[in-house]
Amino acid sequence: MINLEFIINTLSLGSLYAMLALGLVIVYGILRLVNFAYGELIMIGGYTLYLLTGFTPLPWLFVAFLAVIVSMLTSLATELVAFRPVREKSLTAMLITSFAVSTLLQNAALLIISPRARAVTLPQIFQKSVLIAGTDVPWRNILTILTSIFMLALLTLLLKRTVLGIALRAAADNFRMTRMLGVPANTVISSAFAISGIMAGIVSIFWIGRSASVTPTLGAPPLLVAFVATVIGGMRSLTGAVVGGFVYAIIISLLGIFLPPDLLEFREAFMFVFVIIILLFRPEGLIRSKTSVERVG
Amino acid sequence: MNLADRLKSFSTPLTLATGVLLVAVLTELLGISLLVRIVTVMFVSMILVLGLQLFMGNSGILSFAHIGFMGIGAYTSVLFSMTPTAKELSNANLYPFLIPIHLPFLPSVLMGALLATFVAAVISYPLMRLSDAAAVITTFALLVIIHVVLVHWDRVTNGPRTLFGVDYYTTLWTSVVFCVITIFAVYLFKESRVGLRLRATRDDAYAAASIGINMVMMRWIAFIASAFIAGVGGALWAHFITSFSPYSFYLTETFVVLAMLVIGGPYSVSGAVVGALIVTAAREILRAIENYVNILQVFPQGFFGFTEVILAIVLILILVFRPSGILGSREISWPRFVRKQKATGDLDQPSAGVQGGSHV
Amino acid sequence: MLVLKDVHARYGAITALRGISIEVQEGELVALLGVNGAGKSTTLATIAGVLRPWQGEIQFQGKSILGKTPEQIARLGIALVPEGREIFPSLTVEENLRLGAFIRKDRTEYRRNLDEVFGLFPVLKERLQQPGGTLSGGEQQQLAIARALMSTPRLLMLDEPSLGLAPALVDQIFDLIVRLHQRGVTILLVEQNADRSLEIVDRAYVLNTGLIESQGTPDQLRTHTDIEGIYMGDKHRANT
Repeated sequence: MINLEFIINTLSLGSLYAMLALGLVIVYGILRLVNFAYGELIMIGGYTLYLLTGFTPLPWLFVAFLAVIVSMLTSLATELVAFRPVREKSLTAMLITSFAVSTLLQNAALLIISPRARAVTLPQIFQKSVLIAGTDVPWRNILTILTSIFMLALLTLLLKRTVLGIALRAAADNFRMTRMLGVPANTVISSAFAISGIMAGIVSIFWIGRSASVTPTLGAPPLLVAFVATVIGGMRSLTGAVVGGFVYAIIISLLGIFLPPDLLEFREAFMFVFVIIILLFRPEGLIRSKTSVERVG
Repeated sequence: MNLADRLKSFSTPLTLATGVLLVAVLTELLGISLLVRIVTVMFVSMILVLGLQLFMGNSGILSFAHIGFMGIGAYTSVLFSMTPTAKELSNANLYPFLIPIHLPFLPSVLMGALLATFVAAVISYPLMRLSDAAAVITTFALLVIIHVVLVHWDRVTNGPRTLFGVDYYTTLWTSVVFCVITIFAVYLFKESRVGLRLRATRDDAYAAASIGINMVMMRWIAFIASAFIAGVGGALWAHFITSFSPYSFYLTETFVVLAMLVIGGPYSVSGAVVGALIVTAAREILRAIENYVNILQVFPQGFFGFTEVILAIVLILILVFRPSGILGSREISWPRFVRKQKATGDLDQPSAGVQGGSHV
Repeated sequence: MLVLKDVHARYGAITALRGISIEVQEGELVALLGVNGAGKSTTLATIAGVLRPWQGEIQFQGKSILGKTPEQIARLGIALVPEGREIFPSLTVEENLRLGAFIRKDRTEYRRNLDEVFGLFPVLKERLQQPGGTLSGGEQQQLAIARALMSTPRLLMLDEPSLGLAPALVDQIFDLIVRLHQRGVTILLVEQNADRSLEIVDRAYVLNTGLIESQGTPDQLRTHTDIEGIYMGDKHRANT
């Protein structure tokens, strides 16, 4: 049934996925790096929430803020320690590195905390809902939508009105030329990783908000979503990432309604088949960007 | 070519095979059952790494789908090799038409490899056009799809639950023989016309195209050959471990096999062999430490994941300081112990991440 | 101002420069001539820091810039307009120019450069808010040069500025180069169009397969070097 509840749920999911995809694309656009460790940034945000809500009396809003900061710092750290030294080598080396970092972080969480899921205390408001036009709408969904609107506006402001933002966009167009204008490569790349981390942190808040628990493998499902959404929307464009996130949410929600029950569990597989098909016919994604991905052969 | 020359051109695989056989003989003589287990698994891992090397080393493309094909090989071979009774006992939901099928061990392995190859062949041809990020994401997508199917198609695989009751067929000598055959196969591929052409596309796609090399076809052949080997590896592993679940064929395995390849050196057959050897040894030592710490109960919540953390750190260090791996794209051969290979590969070429490559 | 001594550089396994020595004095307009593949673009790339020479020395204003990153070299006042322009297609004209001025923090300087650039290229003012990718080839070339000028460069390097442009535009570009020269901008020009270049430059170097084959003023080159022969290949030169 496509009713108001479905629409708001899908919008909320789409907002979440849009932010998710943005965090991935911002790094990809400049470095052409598909950051496998991105999912782990979300996981780390989640564990920060767990540790701070479980072991300190800090208010939830502050904890959420700290989770975002921690994700951002982790992202910067991975750039500094793992990606920067490999950057001059080759893209393949960077990809393998990101996979290694992902494994490292996952198993570090396993090692340091526990392989078992840990419950996270959620703020009161995540339990409540509000009555809109006769439907019970969870506050959580409304907050997701509002946050994503806010973040998108903030990001747009950054990218369009600040020199750093212009430099980031230029770097996504042509990284080498940007350097030749005197823009320091490290600043640009670190900024991209920082933004990526912030997005991951925010996503972690709302992702945990749905499941109320965190495990070391928490990062895998959102990573997959980010991949698919990014591919759908076009790997180079930020608008594409947002569109991709929403399209993914719409499709998966529709699949949830219309798939026969025994095929329901294969939803993810269907989404990925969708990805492959898109990549075959439109390697540059659904949204046309000014420059296209190279196809050889 | 006389016999001496013939032998010389095969000196790499012969040396490697000799080394592998020596390890097997030594293990057999020592007679420690734990060591026999470790070494058997090592040889099976070696087969998997060799399969990955065949595709990655020659085409320069990072493929995440490899372990997915291992899983297909494992489950398929098991469906053929288990007796009907065993099958009924292990999976209550199994499709009835699958129950009476029963083949001896070797044909079952073959069936596993063939299905893996078939799936690879059908799905991958259009993918071979893609480059860089698109190819990586697609092969990763393949891994996920295969995993999801294995986890949810419980009428075939018993779903996320463990599949029990597989017969033990993979002895030390079984795995060694398969391993030696694989070493030769992968080496022969490397030196074959397909292998040469593929490496030409790896080094310079446009130049290769300009001399008429059909890159898509070459990549495809390598991909399905690699899937075949993965299928064999999966089948062998299934008949060693005798019970498994789809989670054995996902991200951790992918990481380990990738680590073995990259640490040893992705551009040579010797690299695959050496990588498997070193990483297996390292893992066993690290796991022993992990178990020891767990027994001592130093950490109340358990000490897990230590092995993978160390392995990941080592992998990153190798990528930073020695991207061509320990062997640095050289092949081991006899009499001169290390024979230099000509081209270095994609891993230590100047970055395409610094936009535009080297053309100004 | 700029001195290259015995510079050797490689692209992967291919040796592109085999001992290049050139000099550009302040205020000069110097050209690098030669056929495709002679090493002209490679020379500029090496000066700009994109390629690191494995032998030789590069000095700018008396100090060595060997091994410096492209960012550092840009900040010293060397601006490169690459072959193929490489403007940022998804950025507006204004944003392209803004980024060109990245290393200059002074707002007055920025406004002054902007006005100057509008004076030289009025069409850019018209298209100020349009994305760079929507501009025509000639307009993009103007934008690329304008962007370089926004940084008030001490040395301006132009790589094949007339490439792919219609003849009328080619005239415009060469006029522009002359005008810039008259204003005192030091320019290192790479061009395949030897004749046109020799009309406007102070001096030129002729490159051939990574080496300097001849150098001098336009008059010297025209009398002592077979310019045509360089473009036609060795066989032709053997006949004259």
